[in-house]
Amino acid sequence: MTEFLQSTVYGLLQGGLLALVAVGFSLVWGVMNVVNLAHGTFVVLGSYVAWQLNKSAGVDPFLGMFAAAACLFVAGYAVHMLLINQVIKAPIWMTLLLTFGLELVLINAMVLLFSGDFRSINTGWAGDAIALGDVRIPYGRLAGFLVAVGLTLALVAFMSRTRLGLAIKATGMDRDAARLMGIRARRVYATTFAIAAAMAGAAGAIVGTVGTFSPASAPAFTLQSFVIAVLGGLGNMWGALAGGLVLGLVQSWGGQYLSGTLVTAVAFGVLVAVLIVRPAGLLGKPYYEARVET
Amino acid sequence: MATDPQAGKPASAEGPGGARRLGFLSGRAGWVAAAVALLFFIALPVQLYGSQQRTLAAAFMFVALAQGWNLIGGFAGYPSFGNVVFFGLGGYTTAILMAKAGASFYVALPAAALVGLGFAALMGVPVLRLRGHYFAIATLGVAEGMREVVLNLDGLTGGGSGLTVPAVGSEATTSYPGNAGFYYMFLALAVLATAVVLWVSRSRFGYGLRAINQDEDAAAAMGIDTTRAKIGAFALAGVITSLAGAMYAFQQITIYPVRLFDVQFTLLMVVMAVIGGSGTVVGPVLGALGLLFLSEYLRDNLTDYHTIVFGVIIVVAVILLPQGLVRFVRDGWRTRRFSLLDNVRAYRL
Repeated sequence: MTEFLQSTVYGLLQGGLLALVAVGFSLVWGVMNVVNLAHGTFVVLGSYVAWQLNKSAGVDPFLGMFAAAACLFVAGYAVHMLLINQVIKAPIWMTLLLTFGLELVLINAMVLLFSGDFRSINTGWAGDAIALGDVRIPYGRLAGFLVAVGLTLALVAFMSRTRLGLAIKATGMDRDAARLMGIRARRVYATTFAIAAAMAGAAGAIVGTVGTFSPASAPAFTLQSFVIAVLGGLGNMWGALAGGLVLGLVQSWGGQYLSGTLVTAVAFGVLVAVLIVRPAGLLGKPYYEARVET
Repeated sequence: MATDPQAGKPASAEGPGGARRLGFLSGRAGWVAAAVALLFFIALPVQLYGSQQRTLAAAFMFVALAQGWNLIGGFAGYPSFGNVVFFGLGGYTTAILMAKAGASFYVALPAAALVGLGFAALMGVPVLRLRGHYFAIATLGVAEGMREVVLNLDGLTGGGSGLTVPAVGSEATTSYPGNAGFYYMFLALAVLATAVVLWVSRSRFGYGLRAINQDEDAAAAMGIDTTRAKIGAFALAGVITSLAGAMYAFQQITIYPVRLFDVQFTLLMVVMAVIGGSGTVVGPVLGALGLLFLSEYLRDNLTDYHTIVFGVIIVVAVILLPQGLVRFVRDGWRTRRFSLLDNVRAYRL
């Protein structure tokens, strides 16, 4: 029973973090119709920014997180303006290929800069834990969970309460109509992509604090983002949160009760099943799906 | 049949809408070029070192893989991102039959093709109902999931520690063909795959696929059995890809799930087909040969940076040549206008 509780708590904490990893991916996919294969590298880039700040200036990773988010915001804006925007109207696999090329470049650049070794950001406090009965909750994971969920909720509020958020939503629903309303679609797309990258960067800083990372971890983050985005419905922020929690729990329970890495097979089985039965995701709203793909 | 137009020019006018005889090197000139290229590649191995034969064999393998993707992604317009699942299944079918059942490679090879065919048909029924990104992600999910299944079936597949095909000594069920043997094997597969694509491009079946690519609902309204056509294309891709996997497994002797189901294979075949020209016969051939040689050249000359440079080349090619090399040359030849900037303008916002 204790094992079950411990793995449940662990899965929820991990799930909140995964939600932050995936929320930007889902946003970009839902709004821009772009599957960003380089999303996982944005996460790892964020980890390195926080790691470098911590190592050379002793900055706590939960502060370094903001620097990571800022760096990735700028980088994301530039990547969109310089690269993604050039093929935004091309068939979908062109953007997949473009971001695949970008992923190759970024991962190998990180290997050259930081080596392929696994790193972790050391803080004095993140490893300590509070005990609730027999269940241990490390402070770092708890803080990471709270920050991740907080940022995801902030994004939800941003999307529905601010003019920019509404402009992003409108552009996602119908780009041409949005442009007729005076929305500059290119800038909105760039901002969307930048926000997604910033969220990934912030998630990366937390990932680096509660666990280890290396350039090779990037594809796994991208794949988890896939699963979460599809589970939750594309462009649906609440859905990303729910999808993240579900995936975190499934992985944690699976790790406890299934042999080896079969849990990953289960995750992908669920993914394919959800796609076939409910392509709009578990919480999906139909309008993203119904939009004509051009 | 010498149907392998490797010479670097479109061999036949297979343009959309039946725009025949408009390209250059079309008709007879294309066939001659293809025959010359084929004879050249048949005669070539005598002049090569073993390592060069291996590189060329890999290039031919990627020609076959890119052509397999071309059938479903290029012609039918269903961007599969999980074609590596057929590659891995073909490889593991061969390795299991040879290592556990003591079968000869020449028994295992058709068995692998059958497994590829069957799995593509089975998987195609639910997955080909999805469109666009959803199809891409579902196929990716199937491939990743299959890798994990193979990884965890330790008894049959050896799990993460791999499976070794008996290739030497008294246990070998088939004598190891060596570098030259695999060179010809993969060359034959590349020719076969290209021939299949050539046949598809000129058949009623292929026109149906192109119609599905342009507008599936309209195609259905015109009386095309879209489900059957899509599954047919997917199954053909499955056969070609699993044959490549079978040969690859024998060539490598020891195979691992992470290697045989590596998503990089899928991405490379897509990149090669798209940069060469998806939906054309010659495009994937050019894309596969060109990119593989480029990659090898970079590996030899820029040891530390070759993957970065390769990534940059992919990014630049996608932006500058979104319609693929073959269409770019063909359209340019027709309109007498070769402008990469036109390509960029077409798709930017």
